[in-house]
Amino acid sequence: MAIPVEVPKFGNSVEECLIAKWLKRKGEWVSTGEIVVEIETDKATFEIPAPVDGTVLETFFEEGALVPVFTNLFVLGEAGESAAAFRPQGAAPAQAAAVAEVSASVPPVTQIADRPAASPAPAHAPTASAGALSPRARRFAAQHNFHPPAVAGSGPGGRVLEEDLRKEFYSSPRVSSLAKKRMQDCTEVAGAGSGVAGMVLSGDLVAPATRISGIREKIARRMRESLANTAQYTLTASANASGLLLLRAKVKASKGVVDININDLVTFCTIRALLEVPELNVEFIDGKICRHTEVHIGFACDTPRGLMVPVVRNAHTLTAGELSLKVKELTGQAVKGAISVDDLSGATFTLSNLGSLGIESFTPLLNPPQVAILGVNAIQLKPVRRDGRIEFIDSIGLSLTLDHQVIDGAPGARFLKVVREKIESVESLCTI
Amino acid sequence: MYDLIVIGACPGGYEAAAHAARMGKRVALIERGCLGGTCLNVGCIPAKTFLRSSKLFHECGQAASYGVRLGSIEFDMPAVVARKNRVVDTLTKGVEGMLKRTGVESITGHARLIARNAVQVGAERYEAANILLATGSRPAKPPIPGLASEGVLDSDTVFALTRVPERVVIIGGGVIGLEFACFFSEIGSKVIVFEMLPNIAAGSDLEISSRLLHIMKRAGIEFNLSAKVLGIDGNTIRYAASGGSESSVSADCILNATGRSPVVDGLGLEEVGVDFSPKGVKTSDLGKTNVAGVWACGDVTGRRMLAHAATREGIVAVNNMFGKKDRIRYQGIPSVIYTHPEVSSVGKTEEEIKALGIEYKKSVVPMAVAGRFLVEHDGGTGMVKVLAGARFGEILGVHAIGDASSEFIVAAAAMVETEMCVSDASEIVYPHPTVSEALREAILGVH
Repeated sequence: MAIPVEVPKFGNSVEECLIAKWLKRKGEWVSTGEIVVEIETDKATFEIPAPVDGTVLETFFEEGALVPVFTNLFVLGEAGESAAAFRPQGAAPAQAAAVAEVSASVPPVTQIADRPAASPAPAHAPTASAGALSPRARRFAAQHNFHPPAVAGSGPGGRVLEEDLRKEFYSSPRVSSLAKKRMQDCTEVAGAGSGVAGMVLSGDLVAPATRISGIREKIARRMRESLANTAQYTLTASANASGLLLLRAKVKASKGVVDININDLVTFCTIRALLEVPELNVEFIDGKICRHTEVHIGFACDTPRGLMVPVVRNAHTLTAGELSLKVKELTGQAVKGAISVDDLSGATFTLSNLGSLGIESFTPLLNPPQVAILGVNAIQLKPVRRDGRIEFIDSIGLSLTLDHQVIDGAPGARFLKVVREKIESVESLCTI
Repeated sequence: MYDLIVIGACPGGYEAAAHAARMGKRVALIERGCLGGTCLNVGCIPAKTFLRSSKLFHECGQAASYGVRLGSIEFDMPAVVARKNRVVDTLTKGVEGMLKRTGVESITGHARLIARNAVQVGAERYEAANILLATGSRPAKPPIPGLASEGVLDSDTVFALTRVPERVVIIGGGVIGLEFACFFSEIGSKVIVFEMLPNIAAGSDLEISSRLLHIMKRAGIEFNLSAKVLGIDGNTIRYAASGGSESSVSADCILNATGRSPVVDGLGLEEVGVDFSPKGVKTSDLGKTNVAGVWACGDVTGRRMLAHAATREGIVAVNNMFGKKDRIRYQGIPSVIYTHPEVSSVGKTEEEIKALGIEYKKSVVPMAVAGRFLVEHDGGTGMVKVLAGARFGEILGVHAIGDASSEFIVAAAAMVETEMCVSDASEIVYPHPTVSEALREAILGVH
């Protein structure tokens, strides 16, 4: 006697299930308990075993079909028996096959769905989330030709359920036909829609997020490491800059000499200070302080590819003019991108000048394992009391960042004081 | 304290007031003249009732070709004016009813801004969180000697005509001038149009306006293009023709149709610091002026000078003032010239597309491809032109000349507004037989 087997109801919310896989085909013999078919709800996969021994007389649905609960799935019985009486209404084999085709075949290339395909890849290309789609979600995606790049799955293990896709499909902004074509054609993505009911128009398209360059990535990593591995703090002070300005004026007046600028002079003074306070001309590596007798000065350099820090080796052996020439040479190479890697490493102390851009105070970030970096700020007028009168002097701001792991506040401040003294006596330090 | 005071009951103002009131806001609408503004009282609606009568009169002359024989026909100007008044009256009452239903308080009088949140009307002072300027426009009076004299009619005063003039001179070949040229020509007047520019209907697609010019000339209207009107003396108008030679012509009716100027005077705009020029109050796409809480819509902004644009601008302003993000988009706003045949268009003209350097494809089909057009317009002429981007086929502009085009141009407007491409638009089904099928054919013709 033929026995029909129907789709059980797995839970109150389950109204239909998807035929995932037939393990037994029409005409095959099965014994009681053998799995005939796997079906899926949105939540889980279930196996339907044979309730009795017998031959599979008929399977009513193809894989991929969506079948309401309590609908006959297949019929067991003795070979030759008719199963026609158990055929569910509206489940003609042809129709079932058609449904299956939709879910199994590759979707047509023309995009039917009026949704942003944020990826410029062809509509049928597998999406990032494809692997995590539930079968019903896959079916929905195929039927609606909807392949968003990423959808948060609410199923077990982040599995994307049909419900997730459906929600995404109906909430995503509609995109005008032209905008869609341009998105498929170029490297543009949808921005906030400004058209009817928030429709994304061609004017709303924006350039996609771009990956940062290799050099930028390197800067990013070094900056993160700097903050993560040190105990940075910054001291700010200022020095009378009238000597600097006088010297600079002298340089300008005497044509033919190297064009030594304010920054060169401050660098020169800092080198002199480091020779006097060698505690800051050190590196802190693996809990050890490595002292350096030579001063190798790194200087922050703004290039089209981002920040670079060329290094002037043995800077303490150079005159102000030689220092200026070397800095200019290295800057030129860095800007052109022609600088050697050797010239970008090995500094024992670093300077960063934002004063030329009008910055009055900032917090330079350490370049570990160095323990100090000096920020050079803009020259500003500053009131000072002299003989009971208020006078204005030109004053240059200095921002010294130190690693508190090895340099305490007082020694740091003492060093900064020395730098200030050098700057204020720069005219006697170097001759033009 | 109101949430919104609207100054001016034009289609921009009253629709905005009703929209805000429907949102539950306390709204006052101040109007010094009649409800409905220019559009209802001395613009779109009166002009169209006149044109309906002139068209019927003209068609009666052609009735025989449809197999209808008539006796003698006569154009009864006073009756036409009376009908116009009835139509205006009905529509004005409709506006009044809508304002009442939605709970908008109507205030009659001349409003003047005295602060960014207060207006003075007579002795009364009213305050509101938002003020929407919708004061509209008035006929422009360019500095032509004699133009301001009483004998010269404009689009405000022309509707009081009691008889059919023999000879009409119209200064201006823009929308207003052309519509009146059509009207007077159809009722039997000899019409002479003077236009400063080399083309009529400035801003229209040249291929379409050239066709209109040809049709109107064939109907007996005389055009003096690239002509400069030098002065008006009584019934005589002196002008310099395109070649520069000076001449004069007389007429028993002279109509100034040189355009419209925004009404920006007497509103207290200077005192409150609202940024404006004789060309209008400056507004953003949200409807904001430079003064917080002061908004503007319609002709007073000098932006599109179309009643339906004003309505949309007003609603955009109201939405933004009460927290619903909205933005005016002009690309999909259609415009119509109600000549016979009428000219309807939306989107960019071919000249604009060329100037922008956009690669495009075009398709032009005669209106007669639609069977219904032939049925309705014996001997009628017209065409539909579709302009689409060369690469993606997006519909950039649709321009039509031919009667009934005004009734289906909105379909093209929806296509332009939603950036539909030819491939999508081709899937739209048109009722058969209708004149709109010409649009379908034109779209299918874009390759």
